[in-house]
Amino acid sequence: MKASGAGIAAASLSTLGVNAVAHAVEPSRVRYAKETSTICPYCSVGCGIIVHSEKGKVVNTEGDPDHPINKGSLCSKGSALYQVANNELRLTKVQYRAPGSDRWEEKDWAWALNKIAENVKKTRDAHWILRDAQGNLVNRTEAIASLGGAALDNEECYLISKLFRALGVVYLEHQARI
Amino acid sequence: MRAVCIDTTKCIGCRACQVACKQWNQLPAENTEFGGTYENPSKFMHDTWTRVHFREHRVNGEVQWLFAKSQCMHCTEAACISVCPSGATHRTEMGTVLIDNRRCIGCNYCAANCPFAVPRYDHKENAMKKCNFCYNRIVDGLSPACVKACPTGALQYGERRVLMLEAEKRVNNLRAAGYRDARVYGLEEMGGLGVFYVLRDRPSAYGLPDSPKVPMSAYVWGTAFKPVRALAVLGVFLGLVANRFRTRQNQPQETVRGD
Repeated sequence: MKASGAGIAAASLSTLGVNAVAHAVEPSRVRYAKETSTICPYCSVGCGIIVHSEKGKVVNTEGDPDHPINKGSLCSKGSALYQVANNELRLTKVQYRAPGSDRWEEKDWAWALNKIAENVKKTRDAHWILRDAQGNLVNRTEAIASLGGAALDNEECYLISKLFRALGVVYLEHQARI
Repeated sequence: MRAVCIDTTKCIGCRACQVACKQWNQLPAENTEFGGTYENPSKFMHDTWTRVHFREHRVNGEVQWLFAKSQCMHCTEAACISVCPSGATHRTEMGTVLIDNRRCIGCNYCAANCPFAVPRYDHKENAMKKCNFCYNRIVDGLSPACVKACPTGALQYGERRVLMLEAEKRVNNLRAAGYRDARVYGLEEMGGLGVFYVLRDRPSAYGLPDSPKVPMSAYVWGTAFKPVRALAVLGVFLGLVANRFRTRQNQPQETVRGD
């Protein structure tokens, strides 16, 4: 009787248009979250993004209103940045597919970096060009190429060009030029 | 009253609003179908609360491509509120229309009476779902997620009066530039829309109803009979109280007799 009475009271109140509590939606999950600013990793515009985190976990990402590039707005891809941090489909281990193989193997980072270094050395040694057809000293390899991305910053570009020019790589390309 | 103005002439159809909505409200992606245009998804779902209309028209031999974001319009004369039997659909103190999922009984009356076909039934939760105007953002002083994300400024959030003045200025500019059908959509429709538009063509060219109306049945049962309904509920309640009071009065007499 008491419960039904309360139910009827609630029903009559709502019928009369009284809605004392409007907390039908959960409170904002960024209200007490820590804010960290970052740069969108996708394109060369380099929009500013705020990452909201709670207990070390990313709970939300959105445009940084204080950033001069985007002033808080984002494109559809940048708006989905949350999924970079929270995504069960994301690979977290090195995957290796041997030449001719039809399956992926899980490897560790030390193995992968050594494998890359070995292959660079092997390819560079096998295709080293000391002199060109006119006999000019060129010291280069044409069997390795570097493809940069639009989100690389100045410092990264500097290091990449230093490394690859030191190796004798001449195909220093960029995604935006293709 | 808080409102959003959608200036369709500034929309580039990037769908950042769609993604931002899904992200903020933690709504999963869904399988969609290709319908011959860029419009995707092609209809609202219980976990798709906003989407951009893409409409192509041939005007004087040239293709005209129109974009318009659509979502719950947060009408002033909201048919969904007047027909809701459980009081789940209500107006918040911010002037927006919100469905309280704890009180929603999933009866679909709001969907049946919405002239924009917005609310959608969620089978898992047995409740109706729609855009909530990012209620938990606006009460904290933030703008809705879709407005925050919009890169061209096509979406603006603020006080309705202020936005409406800006919208009317914009329409005057468009008319002067030769768009004779330019208009504000939502000034008077449904008593005034909480999310209103600057259009450069007639509403139906954007996939919006030309003259949305509260269905007559919703008006009769929801508005005209609402006071009567409240009286009936109160009458039943008072009757129950009176009945309980009487039963209590009767009980001791019976005990006395028993002794």
